Amino acid sequence: MKINISRQHIYLLVISVFLLIFVLVFSFVVLIPKGKQYREDRVELKKELREFRKYQDFHTQTEEKLKDLQSKNRHIITAFDAIFNPARFEKQHRSYFSSLKLSEIKGAGLEDEFVVYEVNTSSQISSPKSFYNFLDAVNKSDWIIGVNFPIDFKRDGELIHSSFTMKVYTNNKDKNSTKLKKKTKTKEN
Amino acid sequence: MKYSYIKPRAKTALTPEIKLLVSFFSMTIVMLFLTYGFLLYKDYTFTSDKVSYAQQREDLAHLIEEMKDEISYIEKQNALSQKIYTQNTVLKDSITNLFDLVPQRITLSEAKLLKNGLVLYGITPNKEVYSFMLQAPLRSIFHRTYSSFYPAKNGWLHFVSTNYIDDENNINMEDEDEN
Repeated sequence: MKINISRQHIYLLVISVFLLIFVLVFSFVVLIPKGKQYREDRVELKKELREFRKYQDFHTQTEEKLKDLQSKNRHIITAFDAIFNPARFEKQHRSYFSSLKLSEIKGAGLEDEFVVYEVNTSSQISSPKSFYNFLDAVNKSDWIIGVNFPIDFKRDGELIHSSFTMKVYTNNKDKNSTKLKKKTKTKEN
Repeated sequence: MKYSYIKPRAKTALTPEIKLLVSFFSMTIVMLFLTYGFLLYKDYTFTSDKVSYAQQREDLAHLIEEMKDEISYIEKQNALSQKIYTQNTVLKDSITNLFDLVPQRITLSEAKLLKNGLVLYGITPNKEVYSFMLQAPLRSIFHRTYSSFYPAKNGWLHFVSTNYIDDENNINMEDEDEN
């Protein structure tokens, strides 16, 4: 029995088989593994995105909290930042005293991470009420000031001579500068 | 002698069947390559997005850490300032109470407020007035009270009243010694 296949048919068959094999091999060896990797990468990216959103939400919350704190404590923050100016203090609080004199500002050291300066004060008041008003005004002044013991009141004719020590609290500049250094380092990295 | 009326055509391998087959397969291959290209592009974008998200997350973590530090510092500032303001207010109340404590018949010439004590200098008509009207209330406030007198020119008495509050630690230690 003789099978009679034309040359055209043989070409057709060979090309079909060759192309079919190519398609199958390409699909199974390259395309399907790549597709699997694509799905895995997509899941991983979603996970990363979820994590990033969490951080973003936490960042927003923390920022809101910080801004809220800053706006509520604006006076305190600026008061801690302010450098004590004896002349300005005298000008602001002279009205409570018949005379007010601040002498020698000396560094008293650190207290709760803050730098403390001691200022000796001598003054004359017409009545104790002036001193009470002064204590009220000190709590609203441009600096964080604590009136400290010993306090001495002495009759001086019609007036009362008073002398006391004030503690002025400010930010520790050295510590702040180290914080700034850290920030710049991280930015450089 | 001719057997056909038409001219013979040149024989070619690209018969219509093969052309059809090649066009179908080429379409298939183009689609496969397009899919592969899409996957490669996506793979690249996924990787770059992942790196970018990780970087942004790290930046956010740094920012959060800095803000937390700032928050805790402001809270410390707030706590310290409130403590100082309260101390000033308490001091004001203490001085008010002290001057309210002194009766009209006794005149103070000097008052020294110490951290754990009070020293008063003044003048009293007699010891009884001093004892009943000033020393008694002082004794109820302070743990230790000492008084000394010396005569004034007008027949009244100058007095020096020294009053101390003992530390709680000292009192506790004394109590323990007694037990």
